[in-house]
This record gives sequence, structure tokens and C-alpha cells, in this order.
Amino acid sequence: MSAQPQDGAARAAEPAIAMSLRSLGKDFGARTAVHAIDLDIRKGQILGLLGPNGAGKTTTISMACGVVTPSRGAVLVDGVDLAAHPRRVKAQLGLVPQELAIYQELDAVQNLSYFGALHGLRGAALRQRVDWALHLAGLTDRAREVTATYSGGMKRRLNLAAGLVHRPRVLILDEPTVGVDPQSRNHVFETVRELAREGMAIVYTSHYMEEVEQLCDQIAIMDGGKIVAVGALPELVAAHARGGLELELEAPAPGGEALTRALAAAAAHAELARDPARPQVVRCEAPARLAPLLAAIEDCGVRVARITSYQSNLETVFLRLTGKALRDAQEGA
Amino acid sequence: MIGATIRKDLQLLLRDRGALLSLFALPIVFIVVFGSIFRFGGDRSQPRPLPVWHQPGDARALTIVAAIEASGAFAPQRHDSPEAVRSLVAKEKTAAGLIIPADLDPPAGRKVELVIDLGAPMQVRGPIEGALGAVISQALAPAGTAAQPVLEPRTPPGLAKPLANITGFQVTVPGNGVLFGFFIALTVAMSFTEERRSGTWRRLLASPVSRGAALVAKLLPFVVIGLGQLGFLFGIGALFFGMRVAGSVSALVVLSLAVVLCSTALGLAMAALGGTEKQLGGVGSVTLLVMGLVGGCMVPRLVMPEVMRTIGMAVPHSWALDGYYTLLVRTGTGLTDILPQLGALLTFAAGFAAFGVWKFRFER
Ligand SMILES: Nc1ncnc2c1ncn2[C@@H]1O[C@H](COP(=O)(O)OP(=O)(O)OP(=O)(O)O)[C@@H](O)[C@H]1O
Ligand SMILES: [Mg+2]
Repeated sequence: MSAQPQDGAARAAEPAIAMSLRSLGKDFGARTAVHAIDLDIRKGQILGLLGPNGAGKTTTISMACGVVTPSRGAVLVDGVDLAAHPRRVKAQLGLVPQELAIYQELDAVQNLSYFGALHGLRGAALRQRVDWALHLAGLTDRAREVTATYSGGMKRRLNLAAGLVHRPRVLILDEPTVGVDPQSRNHVFETVRELAREGMAIVYTSHYMEEVEQLCDQIAIMDGGKIVAVGALPELVAAHARGGLELELEAPAPGGEALTRALAAAAAHAELARDPARPQVVRCEAPARLAPLLAAIEDCGVRVARITSYQSNLETVFLRLTGKALRDAQEGA
Repeated sequence: MIGATIRKDLQLLLRDRGALLSLFALPIVFIVVFGSIFRFGGDRSQPRPLPVWHQPGDARALTIVAAIEASGAFAPQRHDSPEAVRSLVAKEKTAAGLIIPADLDPPAGRKVELVIDLGAPMQVRGPIEGALGAVISQALAPAGTAAQPVLEPRTPPGLAKPLANITGFQVTVPGNGVLFGFFIALTVAMSFTEERRSGTWRRLLASPVSRGAALVAKLLPFVVIGLGQLGFLFGIGALFFGMRVAGSVSALVVLSLAVVLCSTALGLAMAALGGTEKQLGGVGSVTLLVMGLVGGCMVPRLVMPEVMRTIGMAVPHSWALDGYYTLLVRTGTGLTDILPQLGALLTFAAGFAAFGVWKFRFER
């Protein structure tokens, strides 16, 4: 969901909605992987889908492109229901899976020709699109080499090219830059930006904060199968986090339980943030609370080693909303 | 370091059911199956039934029958007419029968007729001809002077005339063709697993192709490959090993198509069970080997005891081989002669396919 425009003029200026997810959800047996998600993606927009491991990102985009059948809700592309017209809608969608979904025994041209043919391209049109996708991925020089010989970054780029050889209207990327060098990552970014400029709607799933900050003009944060916040970065920061003070306790901090209770007594929950990966750090968004916090910490027999101030950014928003650090998520990926 | 590596590899191995199966269970299966195949050959306590006809009261014939009975290898049973004996062999109720003419005179060319399928592999004919020939010569000339052949093997009417001079390749080419033809099933199943693992399966599901079409498209190439494989094997057999097709070549092609459809469908069924590539490589290949063994790919079913022959009917390999033997060995045979085998193979194929489609999970 993008920010709701206030007046008619602004509404008209906004690009059309390319894809809508309506109360979309999925259960695997007794476990609900995705509850009921509502999300709109507009033409030319890059929407970042951010969430810790197991948040339901892959399940959501799998439903969005018809790979997984939803338990409830609907997917609309240009207003057409995916469930009712799967072939018509899927022709408009491109998927770049989280895995390296290419045939490593084949060369890039063979790979792209196959995936293009799956979308009904053939003959001269297919060859033209394959050339275009190769150029976009920067693989023209190595196009006839078996892809098993490619570097990790080249494989990632081919993985991307395979999802857009048919020039979809909506491109869905599931962590397209896992394990690539900065150069290939920049190449992927440039490609994605260029495609968005041409009007393609893009859903970009990632663990990497900076990627989403740099690339996406809308960000949806997922946790536990729900979308907990959505909006442009400044909106999210304004709504969900402020800068504040960071208290670094002298490690190891004894009496974790007692400390947590003492902290809760000294400051409202909303004003505190703790990062499970760094238990010795206490973040406080309300500088006015500093004195009672320091007293509470001292009462527990813990000393404060350092106090610094921090700016709020996507990371603090994420931590605030999910209680999880993205760093864990990255390590687990 | 060495200790840790040993421990780690033992832990991995103990979790790898496929490897355990092929290391420990497979040899036992082979020991048991091969053992029960060969038990009847050398076991004198189980004489082979042997239908016999001779004139009532023919003294020499009675001597011969008594000698055969005394040998312990056969249990002669007298029948009322030569036709009765021939028809028992023609219907494959028994491997061989004897017809002893009243005017028996081997030196003059009037020999004992051994009713036997000349199209049967040497493993079947050899021991029977050898044993009966020796016993009868002994009975006729106890001094051991007669060096004449006393037996005249002849195929009974009702079984199509077999080719003369059958070589071992007539048996080993179809045997191995069927054994390895069915290994396509493993290739099919592995290909599905590989696509799922790599994520290309997700791409296929995300493309505007119906799921049914995706499945058919995934299977068809293997039908082509399977046909090519069988064509290659039979071609090499014919070109270099003197294998001949006594019956109709087009019937052979139809039969091969049925075999390939059956093995591809088996591959879908295996894919639907959804094991990993490792499990398929272990459990899958062991299963196919045992099926081939029981189905007579390595040892012809004709030499197997009744029980094993019956068990063999439960795998498609045996039907495929029966069909191939008919077409390769019996002159003038065609499609109508292999209808039961074709029917069985297509039934197996339909069963495998139905199970596969029922159990196959597109989203896993
Ligand atoms: N096929 C499946 N069967 C059962 N449970 C599943 C299946 N696929 C996903 N899940 C569960 O659904 C939840 C969401 O998984 P999903 O893969 O969508 O998360 P994700 O946000 O993509 O995580 P990651 O960042 O690790 O890729 C998890 O708890 C997962 O275990
Ligand atoms: Mg995922």
C-alpha cells in the first residue's frame, strides 16, 4: 500500500496499480506462514519487501506469481485475477527465485531461450529478447559458455536475466544479490532501476538494509506472516523510530532478568529498544529518560561503559517493529 | 582429525538409507533370489515332472521310463497319446516331454522324440537334453557301446517355429535392454528432483504453462530418449552380435514404445514419492536392479522355479522380456502374438502414471 494521496490531483498523477495482493494468505498444515496481506505495487515502483528469516517473504511472492496456491485472498495484475486467468496473468509476471534457478550444464543463450520459450516467445522475437537480456545482464561476451564456469556474480545476473527475458510488467525478485560482489550488485541495481524507469513494477525482497534503502521507493516490513509497516523510507522513519541514545553496558551484564525488569520500570516500553544480538546495548528514544535509566542500571550493579547518540534509519525502524536485528537474518540466509 | 573424519563419515553413512541398502540389503536380496533360482537345478529331492507317451506294454519303453525314474532327476508321468504330451509342452505346463515310438531304433534314425521348445534358451534345454540323453543311452545299451544320439528334440505344434542356431545374444540383448531401459525411470525421477532443488521448477510453475502441460512436457523427452536407447541397443545387437528378429520388426517397435511408456511412468511414480537425489540413487537403483532380477533380465525366467516365475509376473520387466523373446526367437510372430504382454505393460504404465499423478506435489 502506498501512501494515500490527499486530493484528486495527486491521485491522478500517481501511476496505475500494476499488482494488488488482497487479503492474501497461506497455511502449511497447522502453521500459518502468511496471514492476510494487502499490498499494492504501482507501475515504475520498486517495492522492497523486508523481513527476518521465516517472515513469509518467499511464500508471499510465490503466491503472487502463481507458484504456490494461496489458502485465501487474491492476486490481481492490471485488475485481472490470477486464480481466474492464470495463463494470461502469468504472462505479465517475471520471477527471479531465491535459488540460482538456471541450468548450469547449458550456456546463457540456451538458458534464456528456454525460459523465453516458456513464455511463448519464438523465432526472431525470441533471439532479439535473448540478446537484449544478455546485454542487460552484461553477459554478451560469455553468452556461449557453459554457465557452470561462470563466477557467482555472473550466475546471479543470468538468474535475473532469465526472469525478465519476456519483459514482464511485474518483476518479482527474491533476494537477487545473495553472495555477489559489489560490482555485480551494482549491475543488478542499475538494471532494476532502468527497468523501473521504463515502467516495470518491481518487488524486491532482501535481507540487506542498505539495498532496500538505496533502491526502493516503497518499503514493506514483514514479520510473522504479517506486514507490520509499509511506506516510503522517510514515512517509516517518522512513524516508527526516532533518534536517541545508545547505552553500552559493561559486558558481561549480570542479572539479565532483573535488569530487564528495572529498565521496564524506568522507561516506557515504546521508548526502549534492545537488540538480542547485542544484549549489552540499550537504546532509548527519549533522552529525558536518561537519568532514571542510569539509576536503574546502577541499582542492578551494572556499569555503563559508553553513551552515544544515534540517528534513526531503516535498521532502527526494523528493530523497533520486529524486535529482531536484520544482521541475524543476514547471517541465517 | 582422522578420528573425527571417520566419525563424521560413519554418521553420514548411517543416515544414508540408499547407501546402506545397496551395501547390506542388496547383496542379501541377490543371494536369496539367485539361490532360489538355482536350487531346483541341482536338488535331486525335487524331480522335474516329465510327461511320457509309449505303447502300452512296450518293454523297452518301460525299461527307459524305469531308468529315468531311478535317476531321480525326473518324475515320468504316462499320458494316453503323443498329442497330450506335445500339448503340455506347447502350453508351457512343463519344459519337456518324451514320446517313445514302438519301433525305436536309433541307429536307423528312429529316435526318442524329445518334445521341447527349441526357442528356449540353452540354460533350459542343455541340462534336460544332456541328462535324458545319457539316461536313455544307458538304458538301451548298458554296456555303454552305443555312441549314437538317441534323442531327437522337436518343438511341439502350437509353439511357433523358432530360429535355428540361437546364440546367447538373442537372450542377453533384450535382457539388458529391458534392465537398462527401465533405468530411464531413475533419470526421470532425478530430473524432477534436480529441477526442484535448483528452483527451475518454480520458474516453470511461474510461467504461463498449465501444470498438466508442464508435467507432460517434462516426461516426453524421456520417451524419446528411451526409444533411442532401446533402438541403439537392439541395433548394436543386430549389427555386431548377430542378434536376429524372427518376428515382425514393427511389432518390436510397438513393444519398445510400451516398455518406454511404462518406464517413464514408473519414473513419474518415483518422482511423486519425493525422495532426494541421494535416496533415488540408492533406493531407486536397488529397486530397479531387483525388479530386473526378478523379471528375468539377468537369468531367464524359464530356468527359475515356479514360485519365482509367478513372483516375476508382478514386475513389468518379465512381460517385456516375454514379448521380446517371442518376437526375437519365433518366426512369423507379430503384434497379435504379444498382445497379452502389450496389455500388461500398458496396464503397468497406466497404474504407475495414475499413482504418479495422484501423489505428485507441484508445490513442495
Ligand atoms: N512448503 C512449505 N511447507 C511447510 N512450511 C513452509 C513451506 N514453505 C515455507 N514454510 C514455512 O513458512 C514460513 C515462511 O517461510 P518463507 O520461506 O516464506 O520465509 P522467508 O521470509 O522467505 O524466509 P527467508 O528469509 O529465510 O528466505 C516459515 O516458517 C517456513 O518454515
Ligand atoms: Mg525466502
